Amino acid sequence: MVLKERRLFQNFDWLLILAVGVLVVVGIVLINNTTAAVEGLFDTSNLLQDFTFRQILYAGLGFLALFVLSQFDYRVFAGLQWAFYLTLLGLLATVFVLGRFFLGAQRWIPIGPFQLQPSEVGKLLLVLVLAKFLADNSKQMEKWRTLLISFAIVAIPTVMTYAQPDLGTSLIFLFIWGVMVLAAGLSWKQLLVLGVILAILLPATYLTLQPYQRDRLVLFLNPTADPLGAGYNVNQARIAIGSGQVLGRGIGSGTQSQLQFLRIRHTDFIFSVLGEELGFFGGIFFFALYAFVLIRMLRAAQISRSTFGRLTAVGFAAALFFQAFVNLGMNVGIMPVTGIPLPFVSSGGSSLVTYLMMIGIIQSILAHERMLGLRTKPQQV
Amino acid sequence: MLRYGRPPQFDDEEEELEVKPSFFIRLFGAVILIAFVALAYNLYQIQVVQGTELKRAADENRIRLVRTDAARGVIYDANGNVIVRNEPQFNVSIVPADLPTDKQDEILKTLSVLIDAPLDTSIEAETTDPIGSIPSDASRTFISPTRRPGLRELVNEGRRTDPLNPVLVKTNIPRVIAFQLQERTIDFPGVRVEIAPVRTYPEKDLASHILGYLGAISPEAFSDYEKRGYDQNDLVGVIGLEAAYEDQLRGRAGTDLAIVDASGNIIRSTQQDAPIPGNNLILSLDMDLQQKVEEALKKGLEKKKLKQGVAIVMNPNNGEILSMVSLPTYDNNLFARGIKPTDFSALNQDKDRPLVNHAISGLYPPGSVYKLTSAAGALQEGVIDSRNTIFCSGIMYLPNRFFPDDPKLAQPFYCWYRQGHGPLNIVDGIAQSSDIFFYKLDGGFTDFTTPLGQALSAEYMRLFGYGTASGIDLPGEADGLVPDPKWKQRNLNEQWTTGDTYNMAIGQGFVLATPLQVLNTTATIANGGTLYRPHFARAIVNASGTVTNTIEPQIVRKVPIDSQNLELVREGMRAAVSRGTAWKANLQDVEVAGKTGTAEFFGPKKGGRLPTHAWFTAYAPYDKPEVAVVVFVYDGGEGSEVAAPIATDILRAYFHLPADAPLIDRTNPPPPETGTTAPNAGAGAAPPQLQTQANYTGSVAEVTDNSANENPSIVGSVTNSAGQGVGGITVVLDTGDGKVVASAVTAGDGSFRFENVNYKASPRWFLRLSGGASSTAVAVDVSAFKQYRIQFSAAP
Repeated sequence: MVLKERRLFQNFDWLLILAVGVLVVVGIVLINNTTAAVEGLFDTSNLLQDFTFRQILYAGLGFLALFVLSQFDYRVFAGLQWAFYLTLLGLLATVFVLGRFFLGAQRWIPIGPFQLQPSEVGKLLLVLVLAKFLADNSKQMEKWRTLLISFAIVAIPTVMTYAQPDLGTSLIFLFIWGVMVLAAGLSWKQLLVLGVILAILLPATYLTLQPYQRDRLVLFLNPTADPLGAGYNVNQARIAIGSGQVLGRGIGSGTQSQLQFLRIRHTDFIFSVLGEELGFFGGIFFFALYAFVLIRMLRAAQISRSTFGRLTAVGFAAALFFQAFVNLGMNVGIMPVTGIPLPFVSSGGSSLVTYLMMIGIIQSILAHERMLGLRTKPQQV
Repeated sequence: MLRYGRPPQFDDEEEELEVKPSFFIRLFGAVILIAFVALAYNLYQIQVVQGTELKRAADENRIRLVRTDAARGVIYDANGNVIVRNEPQFNVSIVPADLPTDKQDEILKTLSVLIDAPLDTSIEAETTDPIGSIPSDASRTFISPTRRPGLRELVNEGRRTDPLNPVLVKTNIPRVIAFQLQERTIDFPGVRVEIAPVRTYPEKDLASHILGYLGAISPEAFSDYEKRGYDQNDLVGVIGLEAAYEDQLRGRAGTDLAIVDASGNIIRSTQQDAPIPGNNLILSLDMDLQQKVEEALKKGLEKKKLKQGVAIVMNPNNGEILSMVSLPTYDNNLFARGIKPTDFSALNQDKDRPLVNHAISGLYPPGSVYKLTSAAGALQEGVIDSRNTIFCSGIMYLPNRFFPDDPKLAQPFYCWYRQGHGPLNIVDGIAQSSDIFFYKLDGGFTDFTTPLGQALSAEYMRLFGYGTASGIDLPGEADGLVPDPKWKQRNLNEQWTTGDTYNMAIGQGFVLATPLQVLNTTATIANGGTLYRPHFARAIVNASGTVTNTIEPQIVRKVPIDSQNLELVREGMRAAVSRGTAWKANLQDVEVAGKTGTAEFFGPKKGGRLPTHAWFTAYAPYDKPEVAVVVFVYDGGEGSEVAAPIATDILRAYFHLPADAPLIDRTNPPPPETGTTAPNAGAGAAPPQLQTQANYTGSVAEVTDNSANENPSIVGSVTNSAGQGVGGITVVLDTGDGKVVASAVTAGDGSFRFENVNYKASPRWFLRLSGGASSTAVAVDVSAFKQYRIQFSAAP
C-alpha cells in the first residue's frame, strides 16, 4: 500500500531512535579509542581494516535499513515466514559446513572483506517466523500441539547454532521462544510442566557443554582462581570498571584498556572500557539508555493491535534484553563469560545492522498502529 | 470493521481490536527494570565501594619497578691492558601472544634460516643450549645434553604457559642479522632482538684459571645470593677472580619506574635509582710474562710428552703474583657464551683436569724442595750450625724398633746418591740435597742424636705456610697436609715411626703441598722471613677512574727465624745452583738461588721405580731477590733435569735476557738427583756409575783400644797408587752374607768411618769397596772397646 511519508514520520518514535543513536555513537567512540591506540597492530593502509571505519559504515548501513524498514508495512513479513525460516536454516547450515570442512571453527560466512554472522540475522528471522506462527495459533495456545510445534521451530536452529559451537546464540533462541510463548498466552498447566522440564534440563545441559564452556562457568563462580589463565579477562574487566570509580578516568585515558590489559575490549568487554573511562555516572546513564530502549520496544508491543506485531516487538525486546543483560552482567561479574557482544555498541556489523533493522520494524509496527486510526492514548507499561 | 480499506494481500484474519494491554508485557517490563537495577547495584559495588582498591590494582598492573643492570667492572693486567671486558651480544626472543597464529609457521620458517635455529625439535649428540644456560657446576650441565628444542616447540610451549612472556630462542646472533631483524620488525611481529652484555676474555685460554668465568646461580646457592640482591637470572663469578672479586665487579643495579602495557612493553620510564657500575680491577698479573711463562712450561712439557704442569712467578717482596700458569688449560670464553655439553664433558673428564687450577688446588708431595724449611728450622733450633757436619753414607739402616740389635730386621734408608755424599755442612746438605743429611737432621740417628724432631719439623712447615691455604685471592685453594702422630693415629690408626719422620724430612710420605705453598716458602726465605698473602689484585678502581682501594701487601706472619740462619739457607740454595743439583739454572747474567725436588708418588711404576714429579723453586737475583719462581711438572721425572730448565727460561724472560742466555759452563756435572727415597722404593736399582772401575786391595792395618766406647768402630782410608786419598768411594759393610748393613763414602782425603759396629750381632764383619770401585772383602773380627783401621790401596 502507498502511504505518504510525511504522515508516517509523524508516528515515528524519535526518542527510541535518539537513544539507539546515542548507544551506537558511544560504541563507535569506544571502539575508536581502544583500537586506534595500538600502533602497528592494524594495517592502517587499508581503511576497510579499521575497526572504527567499519563500525561507522555498518551504522550507516543499519540506519538506512532502519528507515527503509520503517516505511514498509511489517505485515509483509508475516507472509514470508517459511521463506525466512528456510533462509535461516540455510545460513546456519552454510556456516556449519564451512566451519566444519573448510575454514575451521567459526561463526561467519565471508563475503568479500566482510563477514556475515548468520546467528545475528537469525534472531530477527526467528522472531518473525515465531510471531507469525503464534499469532496464527493464538486461539489454540492451550493445545500442547501448538506449543510443541513452536518449540520445534526454535529447536532446529538452536541445535544448529549450539553445534557451531555457539552456546550464547542458542541460549538467546531459547529465551526468545520462552518469552514469546509466554506473551502469546500459556495456561497455568503448561507453565508448570515447562517449569519442571526446565529444572531437569539445566543440569543435563551442563553435561553436554564443551570443556572451555564449563571452564567459563566454573570461572564465573570463582574468577580469581586462575588470574593469568581463564580468569584473566574477568579479573581485568573488574579492575578496569572499578578503577573508573565515580567519575571515570576520561575518554582514552583508561590504563586498563589503553595498555591492553583488557582483552577483546572492542567487543565483549566494551562496557568495561566505558566503565573505566566514564565511571559510575557514565555507567548508570548507559544502563538507563538501554532500559529506555527496551521499554520503548515493549511500549510498541503494548500499542500494537496486531498479535503478530505485538509478538514481534516482544521477541525483539527479548533478544535485546537477553543479550544486553548477559553481556553487561558478564562485565560487572554477575554472569558467566559467554562471548555475547553488546548490541548497538560492540564492534561487529552483523549484530549492529540486525538490531537496527529490528528497531526499523518496531517503527513500522508503531506507524501502522497509528495509521489504523485507533487514536486512543497509547498505554505506557 | 476497518476505517481504511485493507490491501488484499493481508487476507489473514486479524484480531487487532480484541488485543488488550498484556499483563505479561508489563511483567516483562518490570523484570527488565529489576535486571538493570541489579546491574546498577553491581556497578555501584565495583566502582564506588571497591573503586579505590581496584584503582590500586590497575596501578599495580601497569607500574613496575624495572631493574637496570649495572655494567660489570673490567679487569686490567699490570701493563694496563684490558684482559676481561664486556661485549654486546644479540639475543632473539619471541612473545608468542604477539606472533599471529595464522602466520606463525611462515614467520618461524624465515626466522629459522635467518638466525640459524632449528624449526623442529631434534635429538642430537651435540647441542648448544639455546637458552644459554651456563653451567656453574657439573650437575647442571648434564640435564639435557642431547635434546635441542626447535622454534615451533619453544613458541607453542610459551603460548600454552604464558603467551605474554618473551621466550628466548637464540643467543648470540651475528650483528648483521640482528640489524636486519630490527629493520624488518613489521615482517616479524612478536620477534624481538635484545642486547645483552657478554663477558669476553680476549686472551682466551692464557689466563683462564686466574680470571675464571661467570655462570648461572645454582638453585642451592640462590637463597644466599638473593639476600645480596641478586636476581634468579643473574650471572655470577663462579671461579677465578670473577668469583673472588664478585662484590667489587658486579656494581649495584638501579631501578626504573616503568609504565608497561599488558605485554610488559615499557611505554615510558623514569629513572628512580641509577645503577652504579662495577669497579675495575688492576692486577699484578703481567700478560706478556704470562705468555712467556706458558711458552716455557709448554716447551718443557713437550720435551717429555707431558701435559700437566704449573709455573708461578711472584714478587717475593710483597706477594704479588706476576704470572700463574696451570697446564692444561681451557678457553673461558666457552663458558661465557654457553658451553656445549660435549665440550664441557670433554674438559671435565680429561685426566689432566684442565678445569682445575693445579697451582692452587693441586696437592702433591713437595719432595726435596721441602728440605728448605727443615734446614731453616734446624738452624734456628740450634740442631745444627754453620760448622757442624752430618755424614751422608748413601744408605743407612734404621734398627727395628723392637729388635734394635738384629740388623736383619733393620730398615734401609737411601740417599738419592747411593755412594753417599760423606760429611756435609748445612750449605752442602741443601746444595747436594742429601737425603741422609735431612733424615738425620729431622729424625736423628746413632751418629746424630739431637735431631729437630717431628713436632718441630711440622711446626716450621706450618710457619712457612704449609698445611694452610695461602689466602690468595682465588677461590678453590687447597690446604695441603702437614702430618703428625695425631693425624696418623686418627687417619691410619698407626703409630708414628722414625721412618715417617725421615720421609717427612725429605717432603715425602704423607706431606702434601700446592705449588703455591712451595713458592711461598721460597719467597719467605728470599725476603728475609716475611710470609705474604699472595694476591693478584693491585688496586680497585671505580668506573670514573678513581682508585678506591689499593691493595697493600698483607703479611701473614714474620717467620721467627734469625736472619743469619735464613742467610745460610739462601747460601745453600745458591750453592745448589752454582755447584749442586740445580746447575741447570746457573745463569751467567743473574745469580740464581734455587732448590730442586724429585718427589715420588704412587703412580704406575717405571722400570720398577715409582714415578716422580719434577720440582724446582728459585729466586733471583741471589743478593737482592726481586722474583721468585716455582715450576712443577706432573710425572716429570727429575727436578734438576725437567723443572730447572723451565724455570731458567722463565727467569730469562723475566730479566729480559735472550732466550739463549748462557749458563755458567760446568765441566763435571753431578749426577741427576733421583727420587729413590721412599722406603724400599729404589732397592735393587743399580747406582749410577761415577768413576772408572779400579781394583783395590785392602787389609786391617791397625787395631787400637778405645775405652770410650764399648761398641767397636772401623775407620780407614782409600788411597790411589800414588798414595793419595781418593774421595767419593763407597765402602760397604756386611756380615758375610752379601747383605749390605751400612755404607760410607770416602771424604776428599779418602777417609771413611763406621761407628758403633754391633759386635754382638756378628763377631766378624766384611768390608769392601763398591760402586765406583771394587775390592776384595776384608774380614774384620771385632770385639768391644776396639777401633780397627783398614787400608785400601789401589792395585798397581
